[in-house]
Amino acid sequence: MRMRRGSIVLSSLLLSMSLIAAGCGSNNSTNNEAANNKASNNKTNTSNNAGTANTATNTAADEKKALDPYEVVMVYPDPNQSDLGTVQAAMNDYLKKTYPDMNMTVKLSPIDWSAYSDKLNLMMSSGEKFDLLWTANWMNFETQVNKGALLPLDDLLNEYGPDIKSVEGDLLEGARRKGSIYGVHVHQELGNPQGVALSKELVDKYHIDLSPLKSGEFKDLGPILKQIKDAEPGVTPAVGPSFPLGAYFGSGSMENITGPIGLDQRDTNPDDQYKVVDAYETPRYMELAQLTHEWYKAGYINKDATTPGIDIWKKFQAKTAFAAIGTDLEIVKDMKIGEPSLMANKSTQLGMDIIQVPLNIDRLHTSKLSATLQAISQTSKDPARAMMLLNLFYKDKNLLTLFNYGVEGKHYVLNNGQIDVPAGKTKDNVGFFHDNQWQLGNQMLNYTRVGEDPNKYLNYEQFNEQVKSQSSPLIGFVFDSEPVKNEMIAVSKVQSTFDPGFQSGQLDPEKELPKMIDKLKSAGLDKIIAEAQKQVDAWRAANGK
Amino acid sequence: MRGNNWTNVLINIGLILLSLVCIIPFWLVLMVSISGQNALAKYGYSFWPKEFDLVAYKFLIHDAEPIIRSFGVSIAVTVIGTVASLAITSALAFSLSRQDFPYRGALSLFVLVTMLFGGGLLPWYLVYTKLLHLQDTMMVLIIPGLIGGFNVFIMRTFFTTSIPPSLIDSAQIDGASEYRTYFNIILPLSLPVLATIGLFVIVNYWNDWFTSLVFIKTDTLYNLQYFLYNTLMNAQYLQSVADKAHIDVSTMQTQPLEELRMAMAIIAVVPVALVFPFLQKYFVKGLTIGAVKG
Repeated sequence: MRMRRGSIVLSSLLLSMSLIAAGCGSNNSTNNEAANNKASNNKTNTSNNAGTANTATNTAADEKKALDPYEVVMVYPDPNQSDLGTVQAAMNDYLKKTYPDMNMTVKLSPIDWSAYSDKLNLMMSSGEKFDLLWTANWMNFETQVNKGALLPLDDLLNEYGPDIKSVEGDLLEGARRKGSIYGVHVHQELGNPQGVALSKELVDKYHIDLSPLKSGEFKDLGPILKQIKDAEPGVTPAVGPSFPLGAYFGSGSMENITGPIGLDQRDTNPDDQYKVVDAYETPRYMELAQLTHEWYKAGYINKDATTPGIDIWKKFQAKTAFAAIGTDLEIVKDMKIGEPSLMANKSTQLGMDIIQVPLNIDRLHTSKLSATLQAISQTSKDPARAMMLLNLFYKDKNLLTLFNYGVEGKHYVLNNGQIDVPAGKTKDNVGFFHDNQWQLGNQMLNYTRVGEDPNKYLNYEQFNEQVKSQSSPLIGFVFDSEPVKNEMIAVSKVQSTFDPGFQSGQLDPEKELPKMIDKLKSAGLDKIIAEAQKQVDAWRAANGK
Repeated sequence: MRGNNWTNVLINIGLILLSLVCIIPFWLVLMVSISGQNALAKYGYSFWPKEFDLVAYKFLIHDAEPIIRSFGVSIAVTVIGTVASLAITSALAFSLSRQDFPYRGALSLFVLVTMLFGGGLLPWYLVYTKLLHLQDTMMVLIIPGLIGGFNVFIMRTFFTTSIPPSLIDSAQIDGASEYRTYFNIILPLSLPVLATIGLFVIVNYWNDWFTSLVFIKTDTLYNLQYFLYNTLMNAQYLQSVADKAHIDVSTMQTQPLEELRMAMAIIAVVPVALVFPFLQKYFVKGLTIGAVKG
C-alpha cells in the first residue's frame, strides 16, 4: 500500500513535471518555429512582392499587373473613437477610388494609450499579423529593434517610399540602428523652444517689463517673480513640476547622450566638445539648482510641485498662478530668445491669455528624429504594400485628413480653411476626434484647427530651418546602452530619488548635490561615462568628425 | 481585571487608529469627488470641501452610457464567474477531500503546481488567443479567474475537517448517489466556506483590470475597473508624451477632472462594499472552522 502510494506520487510528480516541461518546451519551439516561418515567409513575400512590383514597373508600359488585394493593419495608440468604422470605410473608399492599382484597404487598429506598450509587446511576441505601427525612442523602439520585431526599411524606402524620401531626406537617418533604418520619422517640428509662460492679466496689471529676459537667462526672472510675490499674496509666482532644471537645462546646456550623461555645450571645456561629462557636475547645473532653491526659500514656488499628476494649467485657470517655467512653448513666426508672444493654443484652451517668452531653442538632436516613428512589423505579410500606404501619408492631404480629422461634414467642417467641429457638436460627442497629427505622415500637409495660427505649419518649417542650422555635434550618434545596462538602472534609481527635489528647489544643492554625485558614482556612473566616451570616439572616427 | 481593562483600551485605540488609516483615504476621495471644479486647484485636497459641488456626479450621469455598460460587464462577469468558480472549485475540492478518490495525490499535486508556478504572461496570452481564440470576448474575462489553487485547498481543508466521512457513508447507505450527496448534504453544510471563498472570488473578479488590458479591444467589453484605469492612465500617458517627446498634445483630449476620477472610484467601490456586510457573518465562521481541527 505504502509502496503504491509512494509510486503514484512519484509517477504523478514525474508526469506533471514532464507535462510542464513538454508544455513549455513545445510552446517555445513552436513559437520559434512560427517566428522563423514568419520571417522566412516574410522574406519570400518581400522578394515576391518586390518581384511582382518590379515586373509591374518594368511592364508598366505594356500592361500593369494587378496586385492581390491586401489589408494593411495600422496599429497606433489612441482612445476609442465611436465612429472609427465610418472613418475606416471612408479611407477605404478613397483608396479604392484614387489608387485602384494599389488594391489595398486599411484596417485601423488603435490601442488605448494605457495598454499600448503591453499589448503591442504581446502582439509582437505572439506573432500576430499587423503591418504599420507607431513607435518612438521613448516607447521601446530600441527594444523592438533588438528583438527583431521590426523590419529593416532601406530597400522598401528606396522602392516604395519616394515621397517619404523627398520630404524627410537625411532626417530618416535618426532611426538607423545597426546599419539599417527601422522606423520612418514622422515629419514634424524638429525641436522645441523652452521658456516661461505667463498670465497676461497679471503682466498687464503690474505693467511688468519683460525686456530683461532678452538675456535668455532664468535668473533675470527673479525680480519679476518677487514683484508678484509682494503684490499678490494669493498667487504662486512660479508653478511646477517643470522648472529650469527640467527642460531648460537639458536642452540649453547639455547635449544629452543617456541619463545624466552628455556633452557639455556651455562651460566645462568648449574646446573639446566631444568630452563626455556628468550633467550634475557642471557649474551650470549647480547655478540653476541654487537659483531654484533660492526661489523655493523665497516662496516663489508651489509646495506641491513634486506631487505627481499636478496640473499647472488648472492653477492658471483658478487664477492662483503667475508663471510656468521651463515648459515647452508654442512655435510662432520669427521665434527669438526673449521675445514675448501670445500662446494661441493654450490661450484658447484655457480661456485666458497666456504670454510666452522663449529662453532657449533646441538644436537638432538625434533623439528628436526618433521621437515619433512609423515602423513595419516583422509579422507583416506584405511589407511592400505597408510602405506604399505609408508613402501616401507623405503626399496625399486628403488621406491624411481622413485619418486625422475624420469625414468632412460629419466629424469636422472647414471654417475659413481651418478645422472646426460641426455645429451643435463638441469634441466629446462628435464621434471621431483623433487629432494626433504627430503620429503619422507629413504633418505639414495638415489643416490647422480653429484657434490655431493658420500659418502654424509655415512657422514649423521656418522653425525647422532655424533648428537645423544649429545641429548637434552628435547628430546621427545613437548610444548603445547594452554594455552598461545594469549601471543605467542603478543610476536612474538614484536620479529619480533626487531629481524632483532639485527641480522644485526643495533640496539644497550645496549639501545634497555632492551626496547625489557620490551615490551616482557608486552606482556605476563612471563606467557609463567611459562607455559613452568610447562609443563617441568610435563614432567620430567612423564619421570623420 | 484592571490590567485587562487597560489592554482593552489600548487594543481599542489601536483598532480605531487602524480603522482611521483605512477610512481616511476613502473619506478624502469622497470629499474630493464633491468639491467644486476650481477648489482643487485653489486649495488642494482637503477633508472638508471648501466649495461644495456635485458637478462630477452630474457629469457621470450625463455621460453615463459607457459607465453603465462597463458596470454591466463587471456585474455579469462577477456573477457568472463567482457562481461558476464556486461550482468548479467546490467540486474539485470535494473530490480531493475524499479518502477513497483514486488519483487524489496526483490531482492535489497538479493543483499545487499551479499555485507555485505560473506560465508567465506570454504563454498565458498565447493559450487564450492562439489556442482558444477567446480574445475580445466576455469568456476571457471569466475563465482565467475560475480556479485558484489556494481556494481549492482552503475548501478541501474545510471538507476534510468539518464533514465526517461517516456522514457520507450513511448517506450512501441510505441510497444517495455521489451527486445527491454532494448537492443535498455537502453543499448545505458548507455555506461558511462557500461564502468565504465566494467573497474572495467576487473581489477578485470585481477588481480585475489586467485581463481586460491584455485581451479586450472593444470598448463595449471594458469592465468597470479597466474603464477607470484606462481613463486615468490615458491622461497620464498623454502627459508623459508631452514630457518625453516634447510633442504638443494641447489639441488632444483634455485630462479628466480630478474630482471626476474620484467620483468614479467611489462608484467602483460601492458595490463590493455593499456585498461585504452580507457575507461577513459567514466569513468569520468560515475562517474559525478552517482554523480549528474538528
